[in-house]
Amino acid sequence: MNIRRLRVEDLAGMQACNLQNLPENYTNKYYLYHAMSWPQLSYVAEDHKGRIVGYILAKMDEEAGEETEPHGHVTSISILRSYRRLGLAKKLMLESQEAMATIYRASYVSLHVRKSNRAALGLYRDTLGFTVEDIEKKYYADGEDAYAMKLSLKP
Amino acid sequence: MSDIPAKRALPSKESALFKELLTLYETRQLKKGLKTADQILKKFPEHGETTCMKGLVLAHMGRREEGVDLVRKGVRFDLTSHICWHVYGLIHKGEKNYEEALKCYKQALKYDKENLNILRDAAQLETQLRIYDGLVETRHTLLRIRPAMRQHWVALAVAYHLNGNLTEAKKVLEHYESTLKNIPDYDVEHSETMLYHVRLLEDLGEFTEALAMLDVNAKDRVIVDKTSIMEIRARLLAKLGSDEAEHAWRVLVEHNPDCYQYYEGYISNLGLSLDVSDASAPKTLTILEEFATQLPKATAPRRLALTLASGDHFTELVTPYMLSGLKKGIPSLFSDMKGLYTDESKQQIIEKVADDARNQFSAEPSSSTSKDAEPTSYLWTLYFIAQHHSYLGRHAKAIEILDLALSHTPTLPELHMFKGRVLKRAGDLFGGARCLEDARSLDGQDRFLNTKSAKYRLRAGMVDEASALFGLFTKKDAPSPGADLEEMQSLLYLVEAADAYNRNGNLGLALKKYMAIKKVFDEIEDDQYDFHGYSLRKFTVNIYLNLLSWEDRLRSHPAYIKAALSASAIFVALHDNPSLGTGATSGELTSAQKKAKQKAKKAAEKLKEDAKKATHQTNTNDDKGLEPPAKDDDPDGSKLLQCTDPLERAAKLLNPLATLAESKIEVWIATYDVAVRRKKYLQASKALMRAVAIDAEHPELHIRRIEFRQTVSALPETPQVSGSLLTESLNKLLPEEVSAEAFNSQYLQRHSTSAPAILAVAKVMLKLQTPREQVDDTVFTVFGTEVPLDIKSSLSILSFLRSSKSPREDEFRTRCGEKFELSTVFKSAEELEKLRQVALAPPQFDAVSSDKTEDVMP
Repeated sequence: MNIRRLRVEDLAGMQACNLQNLPENYTNKYYLYHAMSWPQLSYVAEDHKGRIVGYILAKMDEEAGEETEPHGHVTSISILRSYRRLGLAKKLMLESQEAMATIYRASYVSLHVRKSNRAALGLYRDTLGFTVEDIEKKYYADGEDAYAMKLSLKP
Repeated sequence: MSDIPAKRALPSKESALFKELLTLYETRQLKKGLKTADQILKKFPEHGETTCMKGLVLAHMGRREEGVDLVRKGVRFDLTSHICWHVYGLIHKGEKNYEEALKCYKQALKYDKENLNILRDAAQLETQLRIYDGLVETRHTLLRIRPAMRQHWVALAVAYHLNGNLTEAKKVLEHYESTLKNIPDYDVEHSETMLYHVRLLEDLGEFTEALAMLDVNAKDRVIVDKTSIMEIRARLLAKLGSDEAEHAWRVLVEHNPDCYQYYEGYISNLGLSLDVSDASAPKTLTILEEFATQLPKATAPRRLALTLASGDHFTELVTPYMLSGLKKGIPSLFSDMKGLYTDESKQQIIEKVADDARNQFSAEPSSSTSKDAEPTSYLWTLYFIAQHHSYLGRHAKAIEILDLALSHTPTLPELHMFKGRVLKRAGDLFGGARCLEDARSLDGQDRFLNTKSAKYRLRAGMVDEASALFGLFTKKDAPSPGADLEEMQSLLYLVEAADAYNRNGNLGLALKKYMAIKKVFDEIEDDQYDFHGYSLRKFTVNIYLNLLSWEDRLRSHPAYIKAALSASAIFVALHDNPSLGTGATSGELTSAQKKAKQKAKKAAEKLKEDAKKATHQTNTNDDKGLEPPAKDDDPDGSKLLQCTDPLERAAKLLNPLATLAESKIEVWIATYDVAVRRKKYLQASKALMRAVAIDAEHPELHIRRIEFRQTVSALPETPQVSGSLLTESLNKLLPEEVSAEAFNSQYLQRHSTSAPAILAVAKVMLKLQTPREQVDDTVFTVFGTEVPLDIKSSLSILSFLRSSKSPREDEFRTRCGEKFELSTVFKSAEELEKLRQVALAPPQFDAVSSDKTEDVMP
């Protein structure tokens, strides 16, 4: 499996991967907005034929004011079911985090995860070291709560 | 401006009101704006600028038509006002009519040459329309007016770049950089600009200068993007033939050992290749194995090595690779190995390794708790072996192994999923759908399983039943699951649904979905518009330039090609037989189709009502924007079917493919089909010549060579202008001295063992009025032992026999059923109806609650 930084021509593949896997979907323009704003933060995993089988879509948080330190945010991350257990999510996450820290000097990275998604929660908490900061009630469109998680990027 | 024309001048009170109106519009206080405009118009009903502004406000309030009429009127009142033209331009832009919008902006600029807003908008329009010489001029003007704005410099450089003048782009950047002062450390925007400068130098072939600039700026921490620095550095060093290149590529490999491009870079820099047929393969292999030792966690060098190794060495490498995957239960292991199957000896080795693993794992007690051999290893090995056999066409063997695995563990969704795939490949679409539904019901929370199950239902023609599944994950407030998926631009859904309708004979909805695919691509093309301004403000120039060239090739996407070809074929069929689009099909609607039609009708009524509501809610202050609301006044596609210009629509769809998919023979066949019916004979002949250049023996081309000669020779006289050219290419396509009959039988002789060729010959025979028995006898030669007949060709033949009313249709169907043992697609309608019921019944095993699920999917 090939892990590399996002290119413009990957957007359609990312969108297809997301639609197949996750209930939170976006139109092309939202992917484009990420790519055109923070082109260094998103990564893809592709198979031998160049098909996108996983991606991380990430951004810097723009709402952070002058006083607060800049921080990164994972908008969406997913791996096609048939490409699980290869450690792709971890690899994608680490590449993105490094870019957040070195290019934008992000002090931490945040993300949301469904309360019921135990597999993802395990990855973020146990493998990657995220901690639960908060519970956001009814964060998802279907009414499910989200854990707001954080990981410090300071050395 | 000094001289205000008398009809534009307003007394001071109204003049103040007009200024207020502008502010109210800017802040989108539409209701107040409307009042203010009316106040002015009461006294000065022919004031052009106010009239335009009122129209603009109304358009934003959802009273579009009224608004646009007023804007037009306003422009006529005052033809030399930049405000009037600007407003008219905004209206066109809202309708995405970029050409007309630009014309208006250019008019506006005649009367206000230095208006920043208008200039900026004009630059965006010029970029969208790819009018790059105009863009250079506009960017120049902007820079001249506001040289202190950093983005104006970069924007001009980009304009030169797009217009092909890299040298001038470089000069602009150099000038810009020399004026810069006090750039803070870690300025990402400046970092991107400098990376752009390096890229320009590289594109100009000035590698030494590019490298020097990169190194200096990396050292000074001006360029902060480490990954880009390393990548560009390695590439430049390689282009310069420097000794340092090897090290630079190695640094990249160590930085991200899972990136194939870095290995490729390292290896090609040494003059070696990752191509197995290359003489240097053994050397490359040694290097990859060294990397594998140094980077124990990376899979990329191990996998790349498998391509290059052979014989015993391959066995030595592939055994631990596969065993590790089987023990970990990596579902994608087979699809990872599949690429190696081009080498038959590797197939055999892989089969042996898998069989050995199976024996090893099955020997160990399945209750064993030892970490090394969990019962799942055995299961994943069976899964692998089944995939192996299915890939090699041994469907029955694959099913046998899957059934064994399923009796061991019935709760692993992957096993059901793959069994479904085998059945689908073997021609049992309902059986496939059944298995996928079994898989889905094991984990209802997993959208991947849901999508697959719905897709298999579509493949089996169960459109409504598929929709019910899609609906489990789409937005609840969407008019229908399909509408949500369409809004989210799901090409997978749209292609599968369109094809399903097409196969079911529901041409209206098929066409509608194909056109929805076209619309997605139109949207993506429009999406770039805002970034012509945004990316330059953000200085993300590098990826922005890539965006533009990607957008230029957007419609080379397989989904667009598929939609354009299929829709074009339907349009052609409608031209040939307009009754397809009128009452002819509605007489035989299935109950599902009737239901769909009713649903569509209801949805349409709701939309109409919504639209009505919208026009009545004029008191609201809500900004509805300038884009006309999307309305669907053709929910079942019947208007599309009855369109009076099907060929023109088809030609429009195919048009981008002439440059973006020119290597596909289907594109030229379709182009011919449309052109010949539009009586554009020269274009038709050119399309066939392009097809000849790609594959002179293609069956579809064969049919058209003969059809084309017959069409042209039936013309009362050859078209004058293109006459000689036409005769010339006609002669190349089918030599004058050869009769159509002879040409056809010669073709059959050359391709007597190809089912698609035999079908093509039969189709031609029928057109040449060969007796029916002779046509059918020819068709039935596909059952000869030397003809490799597959399900797809058999279905095409069956559909030909049916549409040409052959007396031997049923005989052909029965023989196919016998030949493809597992298939159900050749069964009779009643049998199929029974299978359909089975496919939709609830799963027969005890699902979800079983604890085994946890064991298998930790």
